Amino acid sequence: MIEQELMSFLTVLVVAIVVAGGISTLYALGLRLWAAGAVEVDEGTHLLPRLGSVVCFAACVAIVLFALWLMIPLFH
Amino acid sequence: MEIATLIVVVMVIVTALIFDFTNGFHDTANAMATSIATGALKPKTAVIAAGTLNLIGAFLSTEVAQTISGGLINEQAVTIGPEFIFAGLVGAILWNLLTWLVGLPSSSSHALFGGLVGAVIVGAGVEGVNFMGVLTKILIPALVSVVVAAMAATFATKIIGLITKGMDEGKVESGFRHGQTVTACLVALSHGTNDAQKTMGIITLTLVAAGLQPSGSGPELWVVAVCGFAIALGTYMGGWRVIRTLGKGLTEISTPQGFAAEASSATTILVSSHLGFALSTTQVCSGSIIGSGLGKGTPVNWSVAARMLVAWLVTFPAAGIVGALACAVTKVGMWGVIVVAAAAIAAALVILRLSHRNPVNSMNVNERSDVKLNADTAAQAA
Repeated sequence: MIEQELMSFLTVLVVAIVVAGGISTLYALGLRLWAAGAVEVDEGTHLLPRLGSVVCFAACVAIVLFALWLMIPLFH
Repeated sequence: MEIATLIVVVMVIVTALIFDFTNGFHDTANAMATSIATGALKPKTAVIAAGTLNLIGAFLSTEVAQTISGGLINEQAVTIGPEFIFAGLVGAILWNLLTWLVGLPSSSSHALFGGLVGAVIVGAGVEGVNFMGVLTKILIPALVSVVVAAMAATFATKIIGLITKGMDEGKVESGFRHGQTVTACLVALSHGTNDAQKTMGIITLTLVAAGLQPSGSGPELWVVAVCGFAIALGTYMGGWRVIRTLGKGLTEISTPQGFAAEASSATTILVSSHLGFALSTTQVCSGSIIGSGLGKGTPVNWSVAARMLVAWLVTFPAAGIVGALACAVTKVGMWGVIVVAAAAIAAALVILRLSHRNPVNSMNVNERSDVKLNADTAAQAA
């Protein structure tokens, strides 16, 4: 009984750290890349960071949508 | 149907809705304190958003629990009659108001369960209570949730610090503003899907017990609606005292920290409730804020944190004592119920009156230059 509780708490701890750390990484990376992609003169080389930034933010949106899906019982 | 039963049912519904209101009132801080403190949202905008999301949340999730006590009370042996529910609710409401007065966040569900357990001990004896359940469902989670949320938020804040190192600080600050708003809204929505249900469950089970609704049926639409509106109104009114403590009392928060804290809170709440043991939103959010301070290296005001911890540990027994007293008086009969209701109203008025001495509202919620708080933080920083 107690072991089971302990396992659940550990699961929450691990998942919370991984997910919170993950979304923070994505968002921060997205911002960083976006800033790096800012161009004064339009050059092709800046496209990559900008693209990376969009991918990061898109992943953040996906995580938020998944959280909403989990939250709303109507969906499952 | 007897008129006396009807009166009791109406009393329970009214008290349940007042509890629901104080629940929203008390918990606005969980979702919105960091956003208000960092200026990501204007105070008024934040409470309107939180209130609306709580209302939506209430309608989205109407699968109420089949038991009121969540396994804390041996419901095979003890029937939780309306008088117990009434007494328990009175205990929970008074505790919520008292902690609001001193500006401390505390778990509304712990207050509710504490009140119920206190009432059952007086009304039906100690054997009605599952003390193992109290330990594993109340006490241990209260401590664990803070640690879990704090660790996640510390980690998330550190990562953000590393990645954004060397970037223009103003850009980072404004960049995280949007992220912080979204994560705060997630916490507010999850609050609506969880907390409004509790009151729906109480009202529905009371209606079933009184024979006004078939057993095993879900909440009626009007029950969902009034519960949703009560919690949303409470949230909108904003427990500014608690918001100020969480947003300004624990540590200085910037938007990246706020983002990290809310993301950690939302994840911890969602994961734990999917594993079948919902951790208290209040404790999770406070833990995250402390963690975000630790991760950034900004000083944490431990005396405020310690006071919070004491409040959490006391919540259950304190609400229990009020619930027990209320139950002892309601046992007398109809007059007892009226006396309890009158006493509760009087106590609530006194607390409201006391709160006027140093009012906190949307105008001065981000002010730290008040009472002891400021002296403490100054001492900490020095």
